Amino acid sequence: MQLTFSKTNSSGYTITGFQGIDQATCQRLHSLGLQLGSVVRLVRQYPFHGPVIIEADNQQIGIRYAVFKRLTGGY
Amino acid sequence: MNLIINGVIIAAILALAGYQIVRAVQRSKKGKCAACDYDCEAKKMMEQAKKQAM
Amino acid sequence: MTTVALLGNPNTGKSTLFNELTDKYATVGNWTGVTVEKKLGTIKHSQVDVVDLPGVYSLNPITKDETVVTQYLLHNHPDLILNVTNANQLKRNLLLSIELLEFGTPVIIALNMIDDLKRSGHYYNFETLSENLGCGIRATNARSKEGLQQLREELVRSDSPTINQPLQLNYPFMINQAIRQASQALIADYGYPQKFARWLVIQFMNKNKVVRDYATHHQLTPLLNQQRYYDAQDFEDDIFQTRLAFIEDTLKAARQTLSTTTHVELTAKIDQWITHPLLGLPVFIGIFYLMFKLSFDWVGTPLSDTLDAFLSGPLSTGAAHWLTSIGAIPLLRSLIVNGLIAGVGGVLVFIPQIFVLFACISILEDSGYMARAALVTDRIMQLIGLNGKAFIPLIIGFGCNVTGIMAARTIEQPNERLITTLISPFMSCSARLPIYSLFVAAFFPHNQALIVLSIYFLGIIVALLMAKVYQILFKVKENTVFIVELPQYHIPRLDVIWHGTWDKGKGFIKKAGTIIFAGTVLIWLLSNLGPTGLVTSIDHSFSAQLGKLIQPLFAPIGIFSWQAISALFTGILAKEVITSSMMVLFHTGSQAGLIALIGQYFTPLSAYSLLVFILFYVPCFATIGTIKSETGSGKWALYSVVSSFIIAYALSFIIYQIGILFI
Repeated sequence: MQLTFSKTNSSGYTITGFQGIDQATCQRLHSLGLQLGSVVRLVRQYPFHGPVIIEADNQQIGIRYAVFKRLTGGY
Repeated sequence: MNLIINGVIIAAILALAGYQIVRAVQRSKKGKCAACDYDCEAKKMMEQAKKQAM
Repeated sequence: MTTVALLGNPNTGKSTLFNELTDKYATVGNWTGVTVEKKLGTIKHSQVDVVDLPGVYSLNPITKDETVVTQYLLHNHPDLILNVTNANQLKRNLLLSIELLEFGTPVIIALNMIDDLKRSGHYYNFETLSENLGCGIRATNARSKEGLQQLREELVRSDSPTINQPLQLNYPFMINQAIRQASQALIADYGYPQKFARWLVIQFMNKNKVVRDYATHHQLTPLLNQQRYYDAQDFEDDIFQTRLAFIEDTLKAARQTLSTTTHVELTAKIDQWITHPLLGLPVFIGIFYLMFKLSFDWVGTPLSDTLDAFLSGPLSTGAAHWLTSIGAIPLLRSLIVNGLIAGVGGVLVFIPQIFVLFACISILEDSGYMARAALVTDRIMQLIGLNGKAFIPLIIGFGCNVTGIMAARTIEQPNERLITTLISPFMSCSARLPIYSLFVAAFFPHNQALIVLSIYFLGIIVALLMAKVYQILFKVKENTVFIVELPQYHIPRLDVIWHGTWDKGKGFIKKAGTIIFAGTVLIWLLSNLGPTGLVTSIDHSFSAQLGKLIQPLFAPIGIFSWQAISALFTGILAKEVITSSMMVLFHTGSQAGLIALIGQYFTPLSAYSLLVFILFYVPCFATIGTIKSETGSGKWALYSVVSSFIIAYALSFIIYQIGILFI
């Protein structure tokens, strides 16, 4: 699965879609300025598929692993 | 005379305590803590909205 | 009188700005949702009212506290909106600004935390921004009070604000046409002002829940009839895209590059440790241990002891002598010295410990650690169907369960909010601290902080387990909203810490004058009255009889003293009253005296069992009331009372019965 990630550089990812993410989360992500094509940097990942810290537009945001995967086209 | 003054003071303390208990119970019913006096407009607005909804 | 509404995203320093501008102090925290409700203040030496509203990402609310903002705009008419933004994250901050600019009220945008922006090597041309957005732009840094004087003057001067045109974005043709049609109908048929009508239509298209309810409530047929069409065409998405494109163009035009400054990223450095994937949790626990160490070993307890020595020594003997000399009868003397001074004073001596603990929590809030705590605990919280955000109301619950339950409003899903509300009372609030402090001093003098920490963690563990049970019962889906913003760290500011501490702690002092006082008088009365009237020996009093009557029920958990049982009853008024009741019932004025006395009635094991029982047994009146009002049902409140009593009894039973096998 790793290969399908659209990696821009070592820790940069491009948001490829909001499919499969619930309405409220979607809305909040939009409010944080994230949209199709936004480039985010993966800052930190917690073990056991714990939350993920991403950085976009100078701000760090913690999101769930599953949401991150969907955003970046993981599944 | 002395006894009366003593009695009045004791009665006053007891009455004040009773009043405080009654007040605390009433406030609790509205969902407030004895420590919080804050009754801002937002709270009032929300209560109004609740009434309207009903 | 003009009204200025303070609006902005969470974590933009809105509350700090509010406090700097006005006389009144609002609680500040470096965590989303510290301002759960609206706060009012007045600008010093002026006629300008300032309203501080909860931070929101957009006017379309997801959580309960966010609805306050939209409600406010629908029903109030501020003369000016001060939109506070984080200059460093202008892109998404402006998404909200656009919604406010469309509202039509004059807006001033404050680019707050301007220092962070400069440090990142960027700046904006304010004239370009102001021109594109059609509003005033000011740079501020609330924490260092930069630019505040000018802003204050401007707000006061804007007594008669110039009417500016609301922002009109170039939405796609279809949308523009629909907006025009609907708003014209609203103006013609309902008499709405043009600006408001337009804003209403856009918000309605944007699926704003509050506005849609408003439209239904007011029977706004021009909107309701079109709802299906709007949604089918996915106008919401087009509106978002248009706004974002506009913001990006504006920012690109206004962007300036400063000569790059070399600076050390403080936040990144600290976060290497604090949010470390493996060390994050141990650091979290360590920070809490340190908090209790400070409160119980290093700072709080020594101060409390000094206070206790004064209250039980010079003060109470002095009062007794004075009362005798002015001719007070023994009954009144007993009421004042053995009742009020011993009871109320007995609780007041714990002020130092409680304030130290609150100061620690305030530092955590102000520094920005709370958001990280939510993050590192999220994986564990996920196991029980909650998310890391639920941890914050729980931590706030350490101060007072009532405020903890209120803070649960920031949680998005109703079911999760209900669960958080139900488990909140298991968080050991500060009112329970005096009794712990007393018992650990008596039975565990060398491990005070550790024992208290264990009680707190027991509360957390039981809360989490119960949450898991509720998750299964309510069939909460695993998939929950969890998005948490990690703010930059701030070096805590002394005045903010002090105000935060005072804000949390003043309630405790106030309670001493009201409910603790009342509870003390009640228990004094019960211990001096018996079925035959005034009693000379406390053993014949009501409180003794009541305690002895149900003593068999408490024997299995190791509580044999009727004094403790009676104290538990009055504790429902407020948990501090347990301590003052014990002072009165054991007839002692000093902490030291009481410690010596309870040594005869308890063993370390039964003392621990009692503490566990006190941790859980029944929420206080205020908490019961809050559960009722926040869940909107008396059944949940009743359920909370019954279930917590069962848990309390079961746990202390297990601890005591297993304990006596070994000890």
